[in-house]
Parts: sequence; C-alpha cells; structure tokens
Amino acid sequence: MLEFVVRGLLLGSVLGILALPMGLLFTTVRTIDFAVGAYALLAAAVAAAVPGLPGLAAGLLCAVGAAGVMGSLYLLLRRFGCEDAIVPALMSFGLAVAIASLVLLIWGTQPFLREGFSTFLSIAGLRISPQGLVDLAIELGIVATLQAVLHRTDLGRMMRATAANPAGAALAAIPVEALQFATFAAGGLLAGVAGLLIMYSSGLDFTAPLGLTLSGFGASIIFGIGSPLRAMLGGFAMGTAEALGAGYSSGMVAGMVPFAFVLIVLATTRFGEHGLAGDRL
Amino acid sequence: MTLLRAHPNTLVAVALCACVILAVRSDPAWTDTAVLTGIDTLIALSAGLSFGQAGILSMAQGAFAALGAYAAALAAIRLGLPGAAGLALALAVPAAIGYALARALIRLSPLATALATLALGSLVDIVLRGWESLTGGYIGLAGIPGLGLINTPLGYLLLVCAMLCISVFGYENLMHSRHGRALNVIRHDRARARADGVDVNAVLSTALALSAAMAGSAGWVYAHYISYLGPDSLTTNTSIAALLTAVIGGAGYILGPVFGTVLFEALQRFLPAQEAQGLFYGGALVVILLVARQGLLGLAATSWRGRRRLRPVQAPASAAV
Repeated sequence: MLEFVVRGLLLGSVLGILALPMGLLFTTVRTIDFAVGAYALLAAAVAAAVPGLPGLAAGLLCAVGAAGVMGSLYLLLRRFGCEDAIVPALMSFGLAVAIASLVLLIWGTQPFLREGFSTFLSIAGLRISPQGLVDLAIELGIVATLQAVLHRTDLGRMMRATAANPAGAALAAIPVEALQFATFAAGGLLAGVAGLLIMYSSGLDFTAPLGLTLSGFGASIIFGIGSPLRAMLGGFAMGTAEALGAGYSSGMVAGMVPFAFVLIVLATTRFGEHGLAGDRL
Repeated sequence: MTLLRAHPNTLVAVALCACVILAVRSDPAWTDTAVLTGIDTLIALSAGLSFGQAGILSMAQGAFAALGAYAAALAAIRLGLPGAAGLALALAVPAAIGYALARALIRLSPLATALATLALGSLVDIVLRGWESLTGGYIGLAGIPGLGLINTPLGYLLLVCAMLCISVFGYENLMHSRHGRALNVIRHDRARARADGVDVNAVLSTALALSAAMAGSAGWVYAHYISYLGPDSLTTNTSIAALLTAVIGGAGYILGPVFGTVLFEALQRFLPAQEAQGLFYGGALVVILLVARQGLLGLAATSWRGRRRLRPVQAPASAAV
C-alpha cells in the first residue's frame, strides 16, 4: 500500500509538470493547448535521436519552437478577430495531430526510451527508482521557481495582470501579446522537460500526445486550475490514483484511471464556466 | 414540390449520391472506396451536427461509431438478431452514452465537453481492447453476417447513400425546427437562450445524442460491410479525421462535412505515405482556421455573396463557430 502511494507520488511529479502549462495557459489566455503532449513527444523524439547532453537541449529547443508556432498562431487568430476560446483549442489539436504525424514519419513507431538508472534505491524497505526522485526534485524546483516568478517579480505581476484583464493590462503599457506568446513558449519548455523525464522512466511513442495532454489536464483541474502549487498537488493525486489502480486491479482498469479521473472531475466541478459559458463576451 | 424546395441540401445530397452510384457501379474497387467514403462522410456529418450546430467539439465520434458497430456485431453474432434490430441497438447505445455524458457535465462549457469527449473516446478504446470475453480484445470479432438481401458492394453503396440522404434530410428538418433554432441561439448566446425559455442542457444533450446515433448508424454499416471488427477499426483517428474534415468543409453548413470528406478522400490518393496523413489533416486544419473559419463552404458562400453584391458588407455574424 505504502509502496504504491510512494510510487504514485513520484509518478505524479511528471504529471504535475505536464499540468503546469495547462494552468498557466488557461489563466492567461483562457484556452487549452491540446498540443502540450505533442511538445513532450517532440522533445523526447529529438533527444533520443541526438546523443548526449546536446540532444536534451535540442529536444527542449524543438518543444519550445513548436509551442512558439502555436503561440504565433494564437496571436494571428486574435488579430483576425477570433474571440472564441474553442477555435485556438481546435487549432492546437490540429497542430498536435501534425506533430505526432511528423514524428511517426521521421522516426517510425519505435518507442523513445532511455535507461537512466539501472539500480533501485532501497529506503525504509521500499524499492524506489532514483529516476522518480530526480523527477520529484525537478518538479519541486520548477514549481518553486514559477511560484516565485509569479508572485515576487515584475514579470509575474505583469502576467497576472494580463490574466485578470488583458485590456486593462494593455492600457497600463504591459506588452500583453508578448506575454501571451511567452506563456505558450514557457508551456512548451515545461512540456519538453516532462517529455524528457518520461523518456527516462516509462518511455513514450507517437500515440502518447493525447493521453499526456489529458493526464496533464486532469491533474491541473482537480484542485482548481489557478496556481502551480495546486497543479503539483493535482499531479500527486492523479499519480497516486494511477499507481493504486495499477496495483490493485487489472491492466485494463489501470489504463482507464486517468481518463475516468478527468471525466469525474469535469462532471463534479464547474470547470470553464468563467467567461467561457458560450456567451459572447 | 414544396417539400423539395424546403430541402435544398437534401436535393444536393441525393444528386451527389446518384452521380457517385452511376460513376462507380461497374468498377468493384471504386465501389468499395465509395462505400467506405460514404461511411466516413456519415461520421463527419455527425461531427458537423455536434460541432457546427451545437458547438460541442466532440472528439468521440469514432468511439460512438465503434460502439454502434460493436453493438450491432454482438447482436448479430452472439444473439443472432436480424440487421434491423442491430441498427436499433447501434442507434440506441451511442445515443444513450452521449446523452448521459452530456448530462453529467454540469454546465457543458465548450472546453469541458471537448475534454470529456476526448476522455470518453480513450475509455471506449481501452474497454474494446481489454474486455476480451465480450469484444474479442485485440483479435476482434470476425464473421459478422451480411444484411440479408444486401450482399454486394453495390448493394452496400445503395444502402450507405440512402442512409446519408436520410441523415441529411433529418438534419435539415432538425435545423428548420424549434429544436434547431434553439440550438443556433445557444451557440451564439447561452444567456439569451436561457432567457428565451430554452432548456439549454436538455437541448445540447439531445443534440449530442442525435449526433452519436448518426455515428452509430455508420458503425452499423461498417460492421456488416467489412464483416470484421477490431479495436483498430474505428479509433480515435476516425474521430479526429471526422472532426477535421467537418471543420475544413464547413461545420456550420449541413453539407460542409460531406464536401470536406469527399475532397479529402480524393486528395489522400496523392499523399506519399499513410504516415503523412496526420500532417496533412493537421496542417490543413490550421490553415483553414486562419484563412476561413467557416470552412470551404463558408468561403465559397462569402465570395458568391460578395460577387452578387446582395449584401455587400455583411459582418460574419457567426464567425465564432
């Protein structure tokens, strides 16, 4: 039991990293980027193709680049007078399909997997993968940094102002469009980090993006989509649920846990109501 | 005559089907392609109904089709029921699940429904693969019997065309009805619809249920035509392709998904590799959303209207599909 919980917490740290871009994007630009999972895949695929540390950097760079494309497309849509949140979401979906197809075209159906550590640590009688601890440490670092940036710096203040009231922020000489673009790019970076970590633990292939997007999204809405801290906790909750499902039931039920989780959360919370209930603003 | 005049879309659909039947009837390979295209068109039409009219971005149309197909196949193989009973099941099962899903979401905000349908599609996929005693797991179900009299590809083509025309007719009738008008009000302004006395949740849920039933009927033909059904037959890829072709053709127009699908099936023949399909679909979607958010039919309608100078500067009132 305890082992499953610990394993779930470690698994949840990656989900938490995936959840962060969802929360950031939803609060600042009020839409969903369905391509987050695809950025993660792209990062892993490129990193697997190029050996060593430069590969990791190249992977992250590609993920940020792809997210930058999405950010530019979003800004273009806004310039063309699109106010609807669902259109950029649909567009990011198209981008996700295109990226997955590109990866399939170049690298084929092989999974991207790399062994980081071959030994297991044994702490208080529990077998723990060192990779999980690395994931956890990276996530704690990212969450702390994000939290500090959002609440302690001018950049964070401007981001929060853009989220609360784009028109007002623009009047206060805040570069709203640049910030929105930067949010997309930061989302790409975070997704890229998550993709690399997944590559070092369970691996992923070209079918992964939509599942990753959904898991990350599920983690980001459990405790409310507002802050990095909540995204992290959501990731832990989701990871624990997955690990418990895997430990106490068949493979089929374990696979269903994240999706069932998303459905239950969507059915019981009032997600997406604020300014998105379909009314023209 | 008034019946025909009130249904221009149905007329176009019937004419299109007639042309296709006449063109391909003597070539078995083309007939086969036409049947499969017809099934894809039916699924795309259902995606158009849910997204274009109800504003529900459904990423589960392929899953609904799979549910219908499995329901029909199991009824035929395990219970020995006739095709008509299978059709009833193929309509009812997806409709019930679609309705329940929509009712479970409290406020049915567009982003929430998009995510929920995506999750549902993944769940259906896992169950179809995992529940081996019922669905045959990875091996699938083989030996699904044909539909009595209809046993040639041409027969199936006639059946698909008939179903397509009936669906377009029903869709067009729906949009002329109180229910359809309520849907259009909801898509533009929910608060207004509520103030007008429209039960928003009930209307939207019914729309998703209808769309799911339409996809389910496509699954029914698919199962009987191919006579084999596996977890890879109607997948998330089917959902994605249906949604993308519907949007590219023009989801707000009844015939938009039909044109989108036919166009894409034709263009696909020039693709270098099967793997490039996603790149092609995704890229086309991005471009069309930037250039013409109303889809190709919307683009055609706008330029046609512009040339005739009937309404020179009509603001795209429903630009935000």
